[in-house]
Amino acid sequence: MKYFLTTIFMIMTTISSAQDGKATTIKKTFSRATSVSINIKADASIIWALLTNAEDFPRWNSTITSIEGNIKEGEKIKLKVKLDEKRTFKIKIKEMNPEKSMVWGDSQGKRTFTLDKQNDGSVQFTMHEKMGGLMFPLYAKLIPPFDEAFETYAADLKREAETIQLTKN
Amino acid sequence: MTKEHLNTEFEAARGQLKSFVLRITASVQDTEDIVQDTWIKATDKLDTFKGNSTLRTWIFAIASNLAKDNLRAKRRWTEDVTDICKEAAMSNKAFFQEAMNIRMTSPQGNFEIKEHIAFCFTCIAKSLPLEQQICLLLKEVYDFKVAEIALIIENSEAMVKYYLHTGRSKMINIFEGRCALINKKGTCHQCTELNGIFNPKQNAQEELNKIEMHKAAQSAEKEHLFDLRMQVLKGIDPFESGATELQLAHLEHNRKVMENYLKKNAH
Repeated sequence: MKYFLTTIFMIMTTISSAQDGKATTIKKTFSRATSVSINIKADASIIWALLTNAEDFPRWNSTITSIEGNIKEGEKIKLKVKLDEKRTFKIKIKEMNPEKSMVWGDSQGKRTFTLDKQNDGSVQFTMHEKMGGLMFPLYAKLIPPFDEAFETYAADLKREAETIQLTKN
Repeated sequence: MTKEHLNTEFEAARGQLKSFVLRITASVQDTEDIVQDTWIKATDKLDTFKGNSTLRTWIFAIASNLAKDNLRAKRRWTEDVTDICKEAAMSNKAFFQEAMNIRMTSPQGNFEIKEHIAFCFTCIAKSLPLEQQICLLLKEVYDFKVAEIALIIENSEAMVKYYLHTGRSKMINIFEGRCALINKKGTCHQCTELNGIFNPKQNAQEELNKIEMHKAAQSAEKEHLFDLRMQVLKGIDPFESGATELQLAHLEHNRKVMENYLKKNAH
């Protein structure tokens, strides 16, 4: 019984930490991966629309300065972020599964967005970015940590999607 | 459902339907055509009306689809439409002469600031993606519920909420930056400037003080100021006001200017 309760407690802790909007980073010699996950009480279509409307991003997402281009599979976008305002990231939209997942990538890394519909109608949003490669150790120290920006990104998305969900009928 | 019933409902809705289509297309001719085609289509398809919505919603759905077909191939206008059109008007003496002529001779040639506020909204809202523009007008000006709009645009209620919120937020930001009526630092004073041209003897400040949105500018939140702007639109039928002829001539001018501008600046 004690073992069972401990197991349940561990599972619950894992679930809550996975959805609490706190970012985690795993650093290795040749790679670095940052993840954030948050529960959003809004329809997946609203979250998906927010994540795929390039022009509208800076209005609700305080980590992003601008996105030029269309967020459509196979297209390339130019992304500017608050964390490193002087740089323009040229990113390819590699995969899109509407209201489920999306993969962006460049030569250094891959960012995956996942929407998991929950039984209560909410959505678990996860953003994961992995950078790496043989040359990674050479420039790893030049790349700032993503944790704070990831947490802000998830919180902004949650706030905006839930506000939209609550629009008066 | 009989044809007589449809006829009654259609006539009751016609004024708002025309105003809605004009505010989407910005073209008097296209509006007349679309409203006529809506009537023909509604008559033809009356047996397919299953009563899932009110007849008014069903009629707006037909018109909305026809308007979308009409606009599909056309590019959206730009947020700075009023700057572009002002520049074009300044270098077009004939346009001013025609406008002044309407002002002096037409019974529907008045210039009123509130009419220009509605006109200005129509022009700037054409910079929104079409779905956002349609949802925003249906909800904020023509009082449709989210569920009804979902039927009209054939999409989910969640997406209607997304279009509404996004379109509304974008318009609030644009007016916050541009409109001197609500923000002293706003860059656009065209309604007051035009009032000076068309009503030179009028005290502009007195006129501005009649506008709730302007009076509330110092104290109200920008969301509320947007609601007051929508109240101005609700109170105006662009085809049946003392300013109709002048405003429609101006709208026609802006539409032609923007169509040329977008053609020249095509990617």
